[in-house]
Amino acid sequence: MVTFKLNGNTVQGEEGEYILQVAERNGVDIPTLCHHKALEPAGMCRICTVELFDGRRSRFVTACNYPIWEGMEVRTDTEIVRDGRKLIVEMLLARCPEVPLLKKLAAEYGIEEPRFKKGDDDCILCGLCTRVCERMGASAISLTGRGLEMSVDTPFHENTEVCLACGACASVCPTGHISIDVVKESHSSRDVEMIPSEYDMGLKGRKPIYIPYAQAIPNTPAIDRNKCIHFKTGGCKICADFCGVKAIDHLQQDEIVELNVGAIVLAPGFKPFDPSRFVAYNYAKHPNVMTSMEFERILSASGPTMGHLVRMSDHKEPKKIAWLQCVGSRDINRCDHGYCSSVCCMYAIKEAVIAKEHSGSDLDCAIFFMDMRTHGKEFERYYDGAREKHGVRFIRSRVHSIEPAQGSDDLVLGYATEKGEFVEESFDMVVLSIGLEISRDAAQLAEKLGVGLTEGGFCSTSSFSPVATNKEGIYVCGAFQGPKDIPQSVIEASSAAAEAGTLLSEARNTLTREKEIIQERDIRGERPRIGVFVCHCGINIGGVVDVKGVRDYAKTLPYVEFVTDNLYSCSQDTQEAMTQVIQANNLNRIVVAACTPKTHEPLFQETLVNAGLNRYLFEMTNIRNQDSWVHKDDPEKATEKAKDLVRMAVAKVALMEPLQEAQLAINQKAMVIGGGISGMMAARTLSRQGYAVCLVERSNDLGGNALNLFQTWKGEKVKHQLDSLIESVRSDSRIELRLGTELSNVEGFVGNFKTTLASSAGSEVLEHGITVLATGASEYKPTEYLYGKDQRVVTHLELDRLFMADDPALKNINTAVFIQCVGSREPERPYCSRVCCTHSIESALHIKETNPEVDVYILYRDIRTYGEREYLYRKARAKGVIFVRFSLENRPKVSASPDGLAIEVADHILGRSLVIHADLLALATAIVPYRDEKLAQFFKVPMNEDGFFVEAHAKLGPSEFSTDGVFLCGLAHYPKPIDESVAHAQAASSRAVRLLAQKNVRVSGTVAQINPLYCSSCGVCISICPYSAPHSIEKGPFTGRAEINPVLCKGCGLCVASCRSGAINLKGFGTDQIMAMINEI
Amino acid sequence: MNDWQPKITTFLCHWCSYGAADLAGVSRFQYPPNFRIIRVPCSGRVSPKFILAAFRHGADGVWVSG
Repeated sequence: MVTFKLNGNTVQGEEGEYILQVAERNGVDIPTLCHHKALEPAGMCRICTVELFDGRRSRFVTACNYPIWEGMEVRTDTEIVRDGRKLIVEMLLARCPEVPLLKKLAAEYGIEEPRFKKGDDDCILCGLCTRVCERMGASAISLTGRGLEMSVDTPFHENTEVCLACGACASVCPTGHISIDVVKESHSSRDVEMIPSEYDMGLKGRKPIYIPYAQAIPNTPAIDRNKCIHFKTGGCKICADFCGVKAIDHLQQDEIVELNVGAIVLAPGFKPFDPSRFVAYNYAKHPNVMTSMEFERILSASGPTMGHLVRMSDHKEPKKIAWLQCVGSRDINRCDHGYCSSVCCMYAIKEAVIAKEHSGSDLDCAIFFMDMRTHGKEFERYYDGAREKHGVRFIRSRVHSIEPAQGSDDLVLGYATEKGEFVEESFDMVVLSIGLEISRDAAQLAEKLGVGLTEGGFCSTSSFSPVATNKEGIYVCGAFQGPKDIPQSVIEASSAAAEAGTLLSEARNTLTREKEIIQERDIRGERPRIGVFVCHCGINIGGVVDVKGVRDYAKTLPYVEFVTDNLYSCSQDTQEAMTQVIQANNLNRIVVAACTPKTHEPLFQETLVNAGLNRYLFEMTNIRNQDSWVHKDDPEKATEKAKDLVRMAVAKVALMEPLQEAQLAINQKAMVIGGGISGMMAARTLSRQGYAVCLVERSNDLGGNALNLFQTWKGEKVKHQLDSLIESVRSDSRIELRLGTELSNVEGFVGNFKTTLASSAGSEVLEHGITVLATGASEYKPTEYLYGKDQRVVTHLELDRLFMADDPALKNINTAVFIQCVGSREPERPYCSRVCCTHSIESALHIKETNPEVDVYILYRDIRTYGEREYLYRKARAKGVIFVRFSLENRPKVSASPDGLAIEVADHILGRSLVIHADLLALATAIVPYRDEKLAQFFKVPMNEDGFFVEAHAKLGPSEFSTDGVFLCGLAHYPKPIDESVAHAQAASSRAVRLLAQKNVRVSGTVAQINPLYCSSCGVCISICPYSAPHSIEKGPFTGRAEINPVLCKGCGLCVASCRSGAINLKGFGTDQIMAMINEI
Repeated sequence: MNDWQPKITTFLCHWCSYGAADLAGVSRFQYPPNFRIIRVPCSGRVSPKFILAAFRHGADGVWVSG
C-alpha cells in the first residue's frame, strides 16, 4: 500500500497504480482526453498534467501514466497547473476548432478564440484508436507520418483486410474523427455491417456481448462467439477487465451433458416464414414492406422505435397501412405450405387495431384476406369491433404483387374488388402476415428421435392422444404439433406435462431432498432494530447514486442499528455475510435498497429465514430500476430520491410484524363433472397419476356429444376410440362413477370441498380437494331453413348418425347441400363455433367418397379450416365439392316441394342468384353452452356473455379458474374439436395434479384479516372480493359479521380499501404501514 | 417559481405498473425524479384516505396506477 498526499489529503493506492486512478477513486477530477480504463496510459494529450512535489522541488507530470510512490505530494488544481492545461486546450482548439468536446473544454478554461492559427482538423492525435486497435489484436491502424504530417491511418493509406471493422476505434474516439463510415470508406476492405438484433427482428443492431432481451431468463449477457473480436484475434477481453465480479471466462467451452430422463417433451416452436423469396412482394428490397413480426417490434414500447409507429424508409408516420394475409400459408404454388397458419388473421386484426390506437383514427388500415379466420374464444367479437368500431377495412382479395410507387417511398397494390373491378391503391407501408413453419433444426431433431412428421412438417399425432408422438415417452406441444396460438400452446404444454407425469407418476418425489428448517426467533416485545443494506449493484446504482451517502443517511433514521453497503447484495457471499450480521447485531427488521422486489424479494426473505427471522420483517426498496437507471443524468436528485425511498422503507419496516403462513392439507380426491370426452379424459389422466376420482355425469351414459360423432378430421372413427375410452374409465378402480347425478350443494374451498350429489338413489356428500368442470355444451336446434319441418333437413350431428348407421336413405341422394354458420356468428350468438367448417367438409368428402356422382355444395361465409385441416378443404375442392359464399345479410332461402328442396343463394362470383335442388340439407349448427348458473355459483366461477365459463387468463391460464382448486376443460370453455378437448382435459388434470401433489398448500402471509368487533355486516367485502375469500360467520358471538379465509385471500386489499368500518387490515400492507410511508415522502 | 418542482406520490400495483416502472428502468427510459413510489399489492388497495393523506403531507399530485 502506498500512501501519499493528494491536494493536501492523505490517500492510499496499490503499488503500480497511477495518479489518475487514485484520484478518480477519491473523487478528484483530473481532465483527460487520451485515457481509457481498458488501455495502457500513453500520456498523449497532456491535459492531465499535475504538479508533483518530491520533497525538494516541484515538477509537472502526466497523471495518467505517472506511478504513485510513498510520500509524494500531488496537487491537481494549482494556478500553474490550470495555466498549463489552458495552453494545451488552446492549442488543441486551434488545431481542431470545430470539435464540440474541445469547444466545451475551452469554455471551461475561459478561452474564447485561440491565439494560434486555426486549422481544420478534427483529430487530436490522442492515440486512443490506435491503442484500442492494438488491444483488439488487429493493429490495422497506427499513427503514421511524422511531425505535422502525423495522422491515424492504415499502412499505405489502403483499405485492408486486417481491419475487422469492429468499430472499437470509433467507439473510443473522443472527437468524432473516426466513425463507422470512415472505417468503411478508408480502413476496411471487409463488409461493414451491424449485427442484427434477433429480438428486434434485425430492425436494430446489437453488440457481440448482449442480453437477448430485457426479460430474458437468465438475465445475464451472452457472448456471440461468431462476432466477438476476441474469438477472431485473441485480443480485446475488455469486458473481462470491466466486469466487477470477474464473471467472464473466455475459455469456457460448449459442454455435452448427459441426462437420464424418463420422458421428453418437444417444444421447439416455429420459425416465421421468410418472404424474401417472393420477389413480387419486394420485401427484400423495399424497407416499407415488412413482416408482421417486424411490425410487432415497431408497435412495442421496447422496440427499435420505442413504440412510435413510423415506416422504415424515412421515419415518417404512416397514414395508410395494408396487411396481406396468407403469406407463406395456404399456398402450394410458391412455397409448398398447404396448411393455414391459424394465427395470422387474428394477429393482423390486433396489429391494425393497435396501430390505430397508436396513431389516432386518421390512420387507414386495410387487411387483404381470403377467408377471415377468427375461430378463437372472443375473436369474432374482436373482428366485429375492428370492422365496426375501429373502421379497419377488410378486403377479400389475394394481392399478387407490391410495386414501389414512382417518385416516393409509397407502395402500390393492385387488386380485384368483390365486384370484379381492378383497383390500384397506394399505401405508406405494407405488412406481410407471414405464416408459421417448422425449422430445419426441429425437423432434424424429429428425424434423430424417430418422430413422425406430417405433410406440413409438423409432428404427427392422433386425435385421442394429441400430444403423444409415435415414440413412447416422447411428447410434443406448441407450434411444432401444428400451427396454433398462445392459449392452445399453453394447453398443450400442460397436456404434455400430464402425459409425462402419467408415465413417471411412480417416480414422483423420489429425487427430492428435505430442506433444513431454521428455528424462527421470537421478536415479540423487542423494540425495532433495523438493518439497512444499500447495494451498489456494481456500477448500476453506484455509478449514479452516492451509495455511501445513502448508507450514512440511513444510519440517522429512527431504530436503525446497522447500515452497510455491498457491491452486489445478491451474491452468495453477501447473503452469508448478511445472515451473520443479522445474528451478530440482533437485528429484527431488514431493509434492502437495491433492485426490484419483483425479482429479488424472495432471495432476501430466504436470507432472513436463514438468520432466524420471520420473512415478513423485511422491506425492499428499489433504487436501481426506479432510480439510478432512470435518472442517469441527475446523480444529485437520484441520491436524494434514494434517501427518500430508504426513509420510507425504514418507516414501514419498523411497523412490520411477523406473519404466519396458513397451511392447509389438500384432500387427495378429485371430482370431475361431465362424462363426455373431456370429463372422461380428465378423470382417466388424474387416475393414472395415482389419484382417486369421482366422475359425475347428469345423464345415464358416458360419452357426451362424441356419441354422435362419426369421424375426426384425421379420418379416425370416433366410435371405436370412444368405446375404448369409456371401457377404460368404467374398469378403472380409482374412478368412481356417478351417472344420472347432479350437484345439489357445494361447500368449502381449495383442498377441502364438500359437494352434495343428488341422484334418484338419494343424496351423498363427497369430500374432495379439487374440481374439474367439463360440463360440455349442446348442439343448437335451429328454427331456420325448414329444420324440424322437413325430414330432409338435418343437423350435422344428425347426419353423422346417419353415416354411422350407414342409413340406406343416403344411397339415393343426388344432391347434398351444407349450410354453414347456422346459429353462429349471428347477432344473438356472435361467436364462431370453430368445428363446423371442418366437420361439414369432412362429411361432404365422405358423401363424395361413397358416391362420387353426388353433387355436393357447401354454402359458407368464411371457410375456417385452420391448421392442417386446410388440406381437407383443398381435397374437397379437388373432388368437386362446390363452395358458394353468402353473406350474413343475404342468407340462403330454403323451400320444399315433394320432389326436393330448393335452396336459393346469391352467388358472389356469378353475381346472380343460384337455385340448387337438393335431397339432403345439412345444417352446420352452433355449439351452445349450457349456461349453468347454478354450477357457476357453487364454485364461484364467472361466465361470459355467451354463457361459456371464463378461465383464469385468456392466454396463460386457459385450463383453470381464478378460484383456486377449480379447473376447466372442453366445450364448457369454448367450442373445440376432439383433439383439442382431449388436450384441454389433460391440461386441466395436469394443473390439478400440480396442486394435489403438494399435499399441503402454504399461502402467503400477506392476507386480509377482519376485526369482527368493528365489522358492520354490510357485506361489501363479500360482494367485492374476486376470490370469494370473505364470508359471513354462521355461529358464535359474531354471527353475521364477515370473516376472511386466508387460504383463498390473494392479498389484493380491495376489501380493505372498501371497508366502511375500517374493520379490515391487510397484513404486510397495513393502513398504518402505508400511511407511515406517505408521511415520510 | 421557475425552479419549483412538484412532488408526486405514486401508488403502483405490484403486478402491473410496478413491473412497468421496472421495465422503464431496464429500457433506460429517462424521466424526471419527482415521483416517490409506494408499492401496493393492487390498485384496489388504495383507499381514498391515502390520497388525502398524501396531499395533506404536501404532495402536489397523486398518481394511482394499476
